[in-house]
Amino acid sequence: MRSAAFRAIGALLLVAAPFLLLVVLPQNQALFWTANVLGRAIVFGIIALSLSFLATYGGFISLAQMMVAGSAGYAVAILVDGAVPTIVGGVPYALAMPIALVVATLMGLLVGAVAVRTRDIYLLMITLAVAMGVFRFVETNIAWFNGYEGIRNVVGPQLFGTDFRNPYVFYYVSLVVAALLYGGVLYLVRTPFGLVLQGIRDNDRRVAALGYSVKLHRIAAFGVAGFIAGAGGVLATIYNIGISPGTIGLGPTVNVLIMSVIGGLGHPAGAFIGSLIFTVFDTFAANIYDRDRFNTLIGLVFLVIVLVSPDGMVGLGTRLRSLLGARRAPQP
Amino acid sequence: MTVPALSLRNVSRRFGALQAVRDVSFDVMPGERRAVLGPNGAGKTTLFNTICGDFPPSAGSISLFGRDIASASAHERTRLGIGRTYQTSLLFNGLTVLDNLFIAVRGLMPNRFSFLRPRRDDTAMAKARTLADRFGLAPLVAEKVVNLSHGQRRQLEIGMALAGDPKLLMLDEPAAGLSPGDRPGLLAMLHALPRSVTLILIEHDMDIALPAADIVTVMKDGEVVVEAPPDRIEDNPIVQAIYLGSGLAGGGH
Repeated sequence: MRSAAFRAIGALLLVAAPFLLLVVLPQNQALFWTANVLGRAIVFGIIALSLSFLATYGGFISLAQMMVAGSAGYAVAILVDGAVPTIVGGVPYALAMPIALVVATLMGLLVGAVAVRTRDIYLLMITLAVAMGVFRFVETNIAWFNGYEGIRNVVGPQLFGTDFRNPYVFYYVSLVVAALLYGGVLYLVRTPFGLVLQGIRDNDRRVAALGYSVKLHRIAAFGVAGFIAGAGGVLATIYNIGISPGTIGLGPTVNVLIMSVIGGLGHPAGAFIGSLIFTVFDTFAANIYDRDRFNTLIGLVFLVIVLVSPDGMVGLGTRLRSLLGARRAPQP
Repeated sequence: MTVPALSLRNVSRRFGALQAVRDVSFDVMPGERRAVLGPNGAGKTTLFNTICGDFPPSAGSISLFGRDIASASAHERTRLGIGRTYQTSLLFNGLTVLDNLFIAVRGLMPNRFSFLRPRRDDTAMAKARTLADRFGLAPLVAEKVVNLSHGQRRQLEIGMALAGDPKLLMLDEPAAGLSPGDRPGLLAMLHALPRSVTLILIEHDMDIALPAADIVTVMKDGEVVVEAPPDRIEDNPIVQAIYLGSGLAGGGH
């Protein structure tokens, strides 16, 4: 009951956040927080959610999720009108975005198929290898990806006559997308597919002995994660007004893992909590210490959180709640 | 002529230099109860794993109801009618008892791959509840498996193996770790199995294995050394040599 109330308050705060910021901050700062901190945290939280889904319910740590998100971003950038340079062009956002989601899902399935026989550190390495292979290919291919310069001016569609990149429009669209994907993950993990996925996490031999194809479920899980990452990739590309190979380089690839671990891999909410913490430090590193020391700062935050709570902020929250619950419980 | 439920012909399994199973051949007829005995390291579990498809045999053929399954994957063999338990319980610790049974029931359903949550009147869920009831786990359906006692885990193991209504049930030491009080219940369950289910049982406990079996296969060093009815096992000199070390093993020493 208490956790339901907790969730409702959290959802309400997220919906009201842009207005609450306007109350406590000057307008320009409130706008900055809405778009550049909260909006960005939600978008990268979606990409981290794709990793959290795989890790929490399948036990698969994939380092290819940023690349998969980038494949959707590139698909949009290649297809839409107005992007610079024009690679294909002529496709409206309403069509380009679903195509991008299909591309990301297929890319997820491909990564899942390539890595289907590996686990643990080997899975980590093979997904990293695939991601870095795609990164290098994109960086050196001019005809389709415009090489290291990437594709600019991907501004997003007009929504009811309003610019997609309006901070409020972007924030609420991202929030709705994140809520749908988050709810979708929570729904999916109670379906036969989700339960079998958790079975694979706990014991894949037994899953096979019950008549399920472990490979099929694993590849499908990577496809689902690809879809989630793709949604984040499309939003991230519009947020950045374009995409370049740096978006899917080693740094951003590892950042997604850091977000997920900081937030905690025990629950999909950890992806968003981790992303928010990461984004705050990324944005205000210059104010806190020195812009160039961002990696030191986030590394320290990572170390402290992992040392204090190996299961991240979600684990810390769970322990605090059970501690409070135990204190409040009537003494015998 | 009746087709054997399971037919092994010269099945061998090698791990590097270790010959874990060597030239094993026997037929198990439909409805038969066969116990596989032998000391630790005799190759019993390796033989089980080879039959169930955890790994392919290094040599030999395996037929299930006349169909060659030597190259089939584990899940394909399960779909052909094999249900099994493991020596050490292999369960889904992060899921509830009901979810474990639900997955087990759905494993052999045509719509096993589904992105839709089960409805309230879902038949697989109803069967999972019936199984929980049958194996004394009804009060624990919402409990995560990680919190179960050893005896409860063994019960759940067998419940999951039976969930898909297997034609060939293979139990790997089902009495291992059970309290003396739980053993009669296990024996009663084995006796209550319908003859439409063929049973192969690895068991160290003679009080379970011999009353449950029609025929006993004894293995040593990866080979079958004795095959006899249960009433001729305890006084068999080779079996006595294996278990008591009387020096008669192999008959030629």
